[in-house]
Amino acid sequence: MFKKFITIAVLSLATIGSANAAINQTKGDFEDKFRQLDESLPTPNVYRNAAGEPGHEYWQQQVDYKIKAKLDEEKRRIEASQEITYHNNSPDTLKYLWVQLDQNKFRHDSMSAMTTTFGGIGNRGPATSTASSSKPAQMSLGALRRQQFTDDNVLGYDIQAVKDNKGKNLKHTVVGTNMRIDLPVHLKPGKKVEFSINYAFNIVEEDAVSARSGYEHFPDDERVGGNDIFLLAQWFPRLHAYTDYEAWTNKEFIGRGEFTLEFGNYDVELTVPADHIVSSTGALQNPKSVLTATQRKRLKEAEKADRIVFVVTEEEALENEKEGSNKSKTWKFRAENVRDFAWASSRKFMWDARGHQQGGADQPLVMAMSFYPKEGGDLWKKYSTEAVIQTLEVYSRFSFDYPYPVAQSVNGPVGGMEYPMITFNGPRTELQDDGSRTYSQAEKRFLIGVVIHEVGHIYFPMIVNSDERQWTWMDEGLNSFLDGVAGREWDPTIPWGVEPRDIVSYMKSSTQVPIMTQSDSVLRLGPNAYTKPAAALNILRETILGRELFDFAFKEYAQRWKYKRPTPSDFFRTMEEASGVDLDWFWRGWFYSTDHVDISLDKISKLRLDTKNPDIDFDRLRQEELDKPMSLTDERNKAEGQDLWVERFSDITDFYDENDRFTVTNKERNKYKKFLKKLKPWEKTALERAVKEDKNYYVLEFSNKGGLVMPIIMELTFADGSTENQYIPAEIWRRTPKAVNKMIITDKNKELVSVTVDPRWETADVDVSNNHYPRKIIPSRIEAYKRKKSTRKVSRDIMQDIKTELKEDKDIKKDDQNNDE
Amino acid sequence: MNKIVNWAIGALLFAAFSLSAHQQKTAISTVLFNPRTENIEIMHRFRVHDAEHAVKQIFGKDADIIDSKKTQNQFGEYVNQRFNLFASNQQPLPLKMVGVELEGQFFWVYQETTQPTTLDNLTIRHDALRDLWPEQVNTINVEGKGKLQTLTFTDSIELLKLTFKTQ
Repeated sequence: MFKKFITIAVLSLATIGSANAAINQTKGDFEDKFRQLDESLPTPNVYRNAAGEPGHEYWQQQVDYKIKAKLDEEKRRIEASQEITYHNNSPDTLKYLWVQLDQNKFRHDSMSAMTTTFGGIGNRGPATSTASSSKPAQMSLGALRRQQFTDDNVLGYDIQAVKDNKGKNLKHTVVGTNMRIDLPVHLKPGKKVEFSINYAFNIVEEDAVSARSGYEHFPDDERVGGNDIFLLAQWFPRLHAYTDYEAWTNKEFIGRGEFTLEFGNYDVELTVPADHIVSSTGALQNPKSVLTATQRKRLKEAEKADRIVFVVTEEEALENEKEGSNKSKTWKFRAENVRDFAWASSRKFMWDARGHQQGGADQPLVMAMSFYPKEGGDLWKKYSTEAVIQTLEVYSRFSFDYPYPVAQSVNGPVGGMEYPMITFNGPRTELQDDGSRTYSQAEKRFLIGVVIHEVGHIYFPMIVNSDERQWTWMDEGLNSFLDGVAGREWDPTIPWGVEPRDIVSYMKSSTQVPIMTQSDSVLRLGPNAYTKPAAALNILRETILGRELFDFAFKEYAQRWKYKRPTPSDFFRTMEEASGVDLDWFWRGWFYSTDHVDISLDKISKLRLDTKNPDIDFDRLRQEELDKPMSLTDERNKAEGQDLWVERFSDITDFYDENDRFTVTNKERNKYKKFLKKLKPWEKTALERAVKEDKNYYVLEFSNKGGLVMPIIMELTFADGSTENQYIPAEIWRRTPKAVNKMIITDKNKELVSVTVDPRWETADVDVSNNHYPRKIIPSRIEAYKRKKSTRKVSRDIMQDIKTELKEDKDIKKDDQNNDE
Repeated sequence: MNKIVNWAIGALLFAAFSLSAHQQKTAISTVLFNPRTENIEIMHRFRVHDAEHAVKQIFGKDADIIDSKKTQNQFGEYVNQRFNLFASNQQPLPLKMVGVELEGQFFWVYQETTQPTTLDNLTIRHDALRDLWPEQVNTINVEGKGKLQTLTFTDSIELLKLTFKTQ
């Protein structure tokens, strides 16, 4: 009784959870897994229509920047001034503008700093852990270094002036990482306003604070005092986005939820030490004043080269990093229609380039380029630019031609981060004792993987401009899905990791939140915002829609929202509308719930059609009786040699000993005739045909143990050894989401012997042991491991190992004890 | 040892990979009550990229999780020492090291022990990599004994206890 009570309590909780809409199932425990999503999605309007397309009055703001910045290498400081032109394309009149001051996140009194929990989860950067029974509280040296760095340096923006275009001061109010600028004249729809900001800030040391940009110091370089690589991002006050769905998106920058930005045109002048090489968003406007004639010639040559051309060679970079310069140079860049601007500067950079001739009308030539110090070495020479070009080829096929003149990969202290036309990537070579540099195969995979991933981000979210502050999955999930596609096309033997089976242990766990959760609140970000949505899209493409429908719809989404700002509902609606397949159940299950997939095949029964003809049916019944095992008592009596009474006295037998209870008489035959006579002609034809064909009828009983409804994919194996695959769409679960029965009819000679559900492991079914009928013993990993006991050599640092000297026999004996094999 | 580990942390945090999700500092384990073998089987799944960085910190620069059998076994032993199951009577169950296995992007460590005849509750300690990186999160799914239960080792959590309902 008690048990029953508990079950009821749990059920009603579940009902409350799913009922944020007004519609409420209050009788029974039926859950409509196929309920249309409309009530959960925002109402379509003139800005975002019901197809998931920009509506007929779609608008977005435009913000143009003219920035002059100076890098003070000695002080590691940026001093800059910028003129901003803000175009109000919205139907609203604006009294003030909101600006993002991301550098303020590094201040002591920022919300990010004040809410960093001691030993908490999900923080970016150096870590701490609180005391427990057996050990004192821990603070890593990294956390100490961060704290000391923020103590020793004044961090955050120094806003020196905010003025209108006549030089008059504008009232501005700093609120954490945000700043409100009050406009003396209200900005009407269709009008623009110009203003300027003078500012400065001290650059953070990336290694100390774990930011998305910063400097890295190389103390061991030959130059006295060493050298730095500077990566500059979130380096200028940027306008917050003003949108149709949230107005000002001025949510405080806490650290994880990334950026929500406007498109615009940039003219940027960067003054850096004269011996620095600069890589930046945008096209270089003054090559003649910053590059040598040789460098310009090499760059031209690279446009049509088959392999990379060095604009700055390794030898030149090594020479360059030995000394400094008192002079400076100003690099001028122009970038059109970008949502952000980032750059890198160092005297350590070598620079390679290769033109990607993609054709088309928009941007036939894209220069793929890489910038890296000697520490990047051969690993970068070989793979960086190559991976950039491969990414452009694959991603453009899924979306649109790459629209910008350059695509760059820069090596620095950031593990991996993306900006328009430029990405920062971390992998390096390892310096060996003999002075050479080698890398393991894992590091090579990391480099290729991270370059594909970050360059992929130039499409999502740099061009298909989703709101990162709110939804990490919209750019990370889509991009992880596509980087898996690109990775497999690079080399499928490298494990890329969007296989449904890889997400199974996460999906069955109880500590998770739905994918549709705001970025800063997500628990376990990696599997939640990267792997699960990527695996879901992979399943949608390979299993549910098929490649043709998926690729068409996905491309439609990319093209509809190119240079625009999609929300989750725009993605869901477009995929559904363009594929022509109702996917609300899929979004509901995978993105709005924490259900997992576990379909069990519980039972198969075989049925046989009654012919109604007594001459057939009675015979079958007799056979059925004979097929039953003999009574044990009868058998043993016989074995003991007992004679039956009826056999001993033949005179006591009669008619019934000759004719059993299955004997057919004319009474039954007449009844059959009468039955046939009553049948309508079509009924008779159907019955006669079925009797003649005598097919096999099987009823398969499935239950859904995981809650997530998915198609049932079956492999049928027949007695003759042949197999056949059947696909039942997920809609089979629509009226009974917990259990369904399905009839399968096969030809007389096709006798079913076994059925396997999801034989290719394509649905992320978390328990395959209930996928077989008859049940099969599925060994656990440990059982399987014990059976094979094999190891596979996936990758080795052969570049280093190959230098191993062959040992004499006597030496081998000596170090036998601690040999590596 | 402790001192070495602490120093190692300082050197290690030079790269924050969280954005590209390469070094995720997460591991997921299954504790399976296997009715066929009547053992408790423990299968730890680490990301090769996490393990690769970890072994270099713990066993030195030459450690190689991908190619060196020695490193692989060392890492298995390291995990073995940091994972315990305590039965209802507070006594640790004797865990046997079964082996280690590299599979694609994952590195597996296997342990097992005989199922105790009665077991009302189980207390688990899982410090692997968490003594190295405070931000390491270890998740455990306990399966095969009643409803699946998930434990998450994070922050300063050292021991987590779960109870089994008698059916």
